[in-house]
Amino acid sequence: MSWIPFKIGQPKKQIVPKTVERDFEREYGKLQQLEDQTKKLQKDLKKSTDADLAMSKSAVKISSDLLSNPLCEQDQEFLNMVTALDTAMKRMDAFNQEKVNQIQKTVIEPLKKFGSVFPSLNMAVKRREQALQDYKRLQSRVEKYEEKEKTGPVLAKLHQVREELRPVKDDFEAKNRQLLEEMPRFYSSRLDYFQPSFESLIRAQVVYYTEMHKIFRDLTQQLDQPGHTDEQREQENETKLSELRALSIVADD
Amino acid sequence: VFHFLSRDIEVSDTEDAEVTSFSGSFYSKPNLLDMGSLLIKPVQRVMKYPLLLCELRNATPPSHPDYRELEDALAAVKDINVNINELKRRKDLVLKYKKNDEDESLKDKFSKLNIHSISKKSKRVTNHLKILTRGESQVKDSTFNREEKLFRHLEKTVRNCVKNISFCLQHIQDAMPLAAQTVTELHVISYDKDAKGSDYSASLSKATNPCEDFVAHLHRLVLTPLSALQSLFPGPQKLIQKRFDKLLDYNGYLQRAVGDDSDLARKDYEALNAQLVEELQVFNQAGRQVLLNCLCCFITLLRDLMLMGLKPYSTGMPLSLLPTSISEAQNRVIEEVHSLNFVKDNSATFIERKLSFEKKKPVPILAEMPRQMENHRSQLLASYSLEALYQAKRRCNATQEHDIDLLEGELVAVIEQKDPLGSASRWLVDTGIAKGYVYSSFLKPYNPAKVQQTDGEHRFSNGADTDSLQDGDEQIFYAVHAFQARSEHELSLQEYQRVHILRFCDLSGNKEWWLAEAQGQKGYVPANYLGKMTYA
Repeated sequence: MSWIPFKIGQPKKQIVPKTVERDFEREYGKLQQLEDQTKKLQKDLKKSTDADLAMSKSAVKISSDLLSNPLCEQDQEFLNMVTALDTAMKRMDAFNQEKVNQIQKTVIEPLKKFGSVFPSLNMAVKRREQALQDYKRLQSRVEKYEEKEKTGPVLAKLHQVREELRPVKDDFEAKNRQLLEEMPRFYSSRLDYFQPSFESLIRAQVVYYTEMHKIFRDLTQQLDQPGHTDEQREQENETKLSELRALSIVADD
Repeated sequence: VFHFLSRDIEVSDTEDAEVTSFSGSFYSKPNLLDMGSLLIKPVQRVMKYPLLLCELRNATPPSHPDYRELEDALAAVKDINVNINELKRRKDLVLKYKKNDEDESLKDKFSKLNIHSISKKSKRVTNHLKILTRGESQVKDSTFNREEKLFRHLEKTVRNCVKNISFCLQHIQDAMPLAAQTVTELHVISYDKDAKGSDYSASLSKATNPCEDFVAHLHRLVLTPLSALQSLFPGPQKLIQKRFDKLLDYNGYLQRAVGDDSDLARKDYEALNAQLVEELQVFNQAGRQVLLNCLCCFITLLRDLMLMGLKPYSTGMPLSLLPTSISEAQNRVIEEVHSLNFVKDNSATFIERKLSFEKKKPVPILAEMPRQMENHRSQLLASYSLEALYQAKRRCNATQEHDIDLLEGELVAVIEQKDPLGSASRWLVDTGIAKGYVYSSFLKPYNPAKVQQTDGEHRFSNGADTDSLQDGDEQIFYAVHAFQARSEHELSLQEYQRVHILRFCDLSGNKEWWLAEAQGQKGYVPANYLGKMTYA
């Protein structure tokens, strides 16, 4: 990639052409956005897995409280139902934990690994910036000497300053070139990197929900006064509740 | 019901036009006066039947074929009346106690306090204590006790269920949208905007819907009935308490002579007890059924929720990769990324202790330098006096301009005990190969006697990193951050200044302050300002 440093006398004293700068900004900008996205995703994943675990824990609490209730002792039917429910809830918890582990392994950790590259990138960009500043500084010194009248000592100094300038300029150019080449590569690597994670996340959810659906479907088949739909149960509840309200001891006016 | 109705009617009589017009139609009928008299007709009639039948029976000779039936009819009709009275009495009882406890302000409570109530309460307490302590004979009703226990358990179960199910619902409402959100976010990262599957996020955003349906149904089918059931418990609970009070009263009278008071107590107790026994059974049955129904509904709702939860994730994304191959694929990519130059150059090569304001300063890769040979050492020994000769305690890497590297055990001759800037911690030394600066803390005076046997080993282990600390006693640290001494016990440090730690705690054993030495001065420095140097 070649670019021309502007010489003195040009209206804009820009040693790095705008197009180059713009390209750089664009590529770096994309990567910065990616960095933010990965950070946010990591946080959200943590929140999500925590919420999932909280949910299954509270579900288990429902059934274990029911199970520990002395109501079960006398009532065989009740005991059967509650035991079956408890088993189901515990299985739900186990599957959930498994899902979270899977997500941890295939999504969260890769995310972390990918994110750990960003500090290096930011450091490299900073160093390029430093090199640019050095380059600008020396360039202006050279130009200052070039403006002076050409006496002997001035020429000598000019030569020396030019010598100083050269390695710095080369350094900057090298850094710039390197980053401009490598940033897009880094950016595009995310596709290959994250697509497997994405698929894994989807798969984990699919497996979980399929299993859960199976568990609860089996449970309903096992427990039920067969054939009762939810509406029938709702109505039965209503009648029972009215019956209760009619009781004198309840004293509902 | 009748009483309320008639009361209400009387009240609304003047207001309600319909009622008045209806009453107006009475005027043609001679027997009716107003709504009240109309309503009281059934009551009067019910009470007339026994009388009627009684008269009829008395007029019938026992040999008449209808006599039997008349007897039965009379008994049945009397039963009806008794039942009505019983029901009425129970309702009255309940109302009396219900009104007692509801809406009572402190003032009301105080106004009820009189000699009678106080003595009643204290008698009860005494009786209770008597029962507890002396185990006196008391009236027991095992049926009641059983039902009451059931009732109590039912209440606790319902209460817990409502609480736990509500919590679980809350968590479900939190978790499911979050999961969908993470999937969307990951999708954004993983795919280019215009690639295939980019419309995935649109379909995923409908994923919150199964949750909403679930919530609505759960409330309607499970939580509302259970909450309603829960609210029905306090009424009977109060009555149970009252019954217990009556029981205490009754017990108190058991010992004494039978009289009016004890009779009354017995009647009260028995009425309440009978009522409770009968109705608690119904309550428990019905309550249990409601609970079971709600649990069944809960389970079916969960089943449906899981089905709905599955839907958004199974929209046509081909899942090609096996889990095991995921990490392989990803590792490959990460390897490639790590091979990029900007990563290589800038990853942390300078490992430090975890500090919040540490800066990662990369150490430039050392070029291979010629190592000190025997002839160099002898040259040094020859050219310099023994006092000027020092030995490197450990490997030092050159970090600044004009620094030189030393390997552990290398011999140097000190030319100047300060550097161009005047710092006494950096010395100009001659290694026989080159001259340069090293930090004085890396050097110890050369003792030829000690060196003999260890020298050989050190020479041969030149290639390897000897980063192990020498028995842990002498350790070089550097100040990550400048530190200003606030007293004469503390030592001021410049940034990146190297110090030699003499002790890893202060005089009182506090591990936060270390005794350090630098430039010939000793003092305490905060431990977390210091970073240990290990070389990668």
